[in-house]
Amino acid sequence: MRAIVTGAARGLGAAIAGRLARDGADVALLDMSVDVMASAGRLAGDVGAAGDAGGAGRQVAVGLVADVSDENACAAAVDRAVHAIGGVDVLVNNAGIGGPDTDVTRTSLAEFRRVLDVNLTGIFLMCREVARVMIGQGSGGAIVNLGSVFGQQGVAGGAGYCASKAGVALLTHSLALELAPHNIRANTIAPGNMATEMHWDELRSRAARSGGTFDEQVEMVRASVPLGRHGTGGDIAGVVAWLVSPDAGYVTGQTIGVNGGIWLS
Amino acid sequence: MTPGRLAGRRALITGGASGIGLACARRLLAEGAAAVLLDRRADALASAAGVGAAPVACDIRDPGAVAAAVARAAGLLGGPADVLVNSAGVYRIAPLLDLTPREWDDVLAVNLRGTFLAGRAVAAALIEAGLPGAIVNISSTAGLLADASEPSAHYNASKAGVLALTRQMAAEWAPHGIRANAVCPGVIDTPMLRLMDDPAAGAAYLQADVPQRRLGSADEVAAVIVFLVSDDASYLTGAAVPVDGGITAI
Repeated sequence: MRAIVTGAARGLGAAIAGRLARDGADVALLDMSVDVMASAGRLAGDVGAAGDAGGAGRQVAVGLVADVSDENACAAAVDRAVHAIGGVDVLVNNAGIGGPDTDVTRTSLAEFRRVLDVNLTGIFLMCREVARVMIGQGSGGAIVNLGSVFGQQGVAGGAGYCASKAGVALLTHSLALELAPHNIRANTIAPGNMATEMHWDELRSRAARSGGTFDEQVEMVRASVPLGRHGTGGDIAGVVAWLVSPDAGYVTGQTIGVNGGIWLS
Repeated sequence: MTPGRLAGRRALITGGASGIGLACARRLLAEGAAAVLLDRRADALASAAGVGAAPVACDIRDPGAVAAAVARAAGLLGGPADVLVNSAGVYRIAPLLDLTPREWDDVLAVNLRGTFLAGRAVAAALIEAGLPGAIVNISSTAGLLADASEPSAHYNASKAGVLALTRQMAAEWAPHGIRANAVCPGVIDTPMLRLMDDPAAGAAYLQADVPQRRLGSADEVAAVIVFLVSDDASYLTGAAVPVDGGITAI
């Protein structure tokens, strides 16, 4: 298996890339932060993989720096990834930003556009480039896009983020219909409240606004989850590993909620 | 397939004598779980037990029979079942104007009441023992979508009911470490399938309405169910996962 994972320098993306590599995949880790080079290096060490110029028969883990919202950078990164890992069977679009924590009436156009550019347009660009390669290979494939439970329900102060993540789900479902004849499956994972820096930043912002403490915000969220805890990178990586495997061979065009039981009501 | 992934798990599969239930039993056993099959049909159970699971005859509509069967399963498994797959179900076709109350009750009794009875009995035993567990209920794309060509309001309502029941199981039993999810199979190649009774119409449906343009197999549904009971799905509860080749994405 040859996989590209975006937003892979830290958090969920790093956990996903790690799981796929430990399951035996050659992995290209892509991120707009140069930290991805160190993440790829550590992963290569963990699984005994080689870097970009990996010799025949050795597993490959390679880091690439690119902003997925930049059309040319995206195409170039996919080209380099495909060259480094010898093709692509799996794309996991995890790169995303939290966006501004502001009411719509106080949100600038630039802020709104930025979250749409990264979270939605970036996934469109990555899917377009990678799907072209997959179709050319003629050997099928699997795409997993990271949406959010906040693409299924609204949040005051999070309109841009929610709109971008709702867009991801329908982009993915349309893509699934277009790519099914090529035996390429496309699904969305909608995480709930995850123990990531992005979520902690949001809770710090909420605490600052409400006058409460960060710890109170963490506890309030935790208590709202039926399973009684925040999700982890491993929780998401386990679902990704399943969705890209033959065990999900008849699953396409779906949104899988991984949220500890916070469902739509 | 991950041999040993479910080592030490004790599985109970209702409707285990055929179709998706039997495929689940095979897959659970292959990944290391012990398994007991429940089914109403003793003759079918006898042949199904050849896969290496213990058979227990049980009418899933009968609360006393279900309680006795769950207790007997615990004895056979060496402890309370911590995996429950509710796959006992019946499928009937009847337009609403011809559908009798008796037919309505019969379908609801197996598909919805049976799922409630088995789920409650298994969860009660787990909670009493202080053990975690995972439940997967078989719903259907028919619980999400209407279908004029194979009218079956009683079946569809029962499967939509299973989704609400699943969410409630997840909500009430999450504090006990019991996860509950549903799968929604589409057109799956099992003895229950009616789509291909008319091969030409069936083929046309697959071309037009199933993005992957083929039937699913019982093994493909079993693979999703086994994922849902595995630790890879440890943060997934209350979900409905379609296994339908993309039908519900249209």
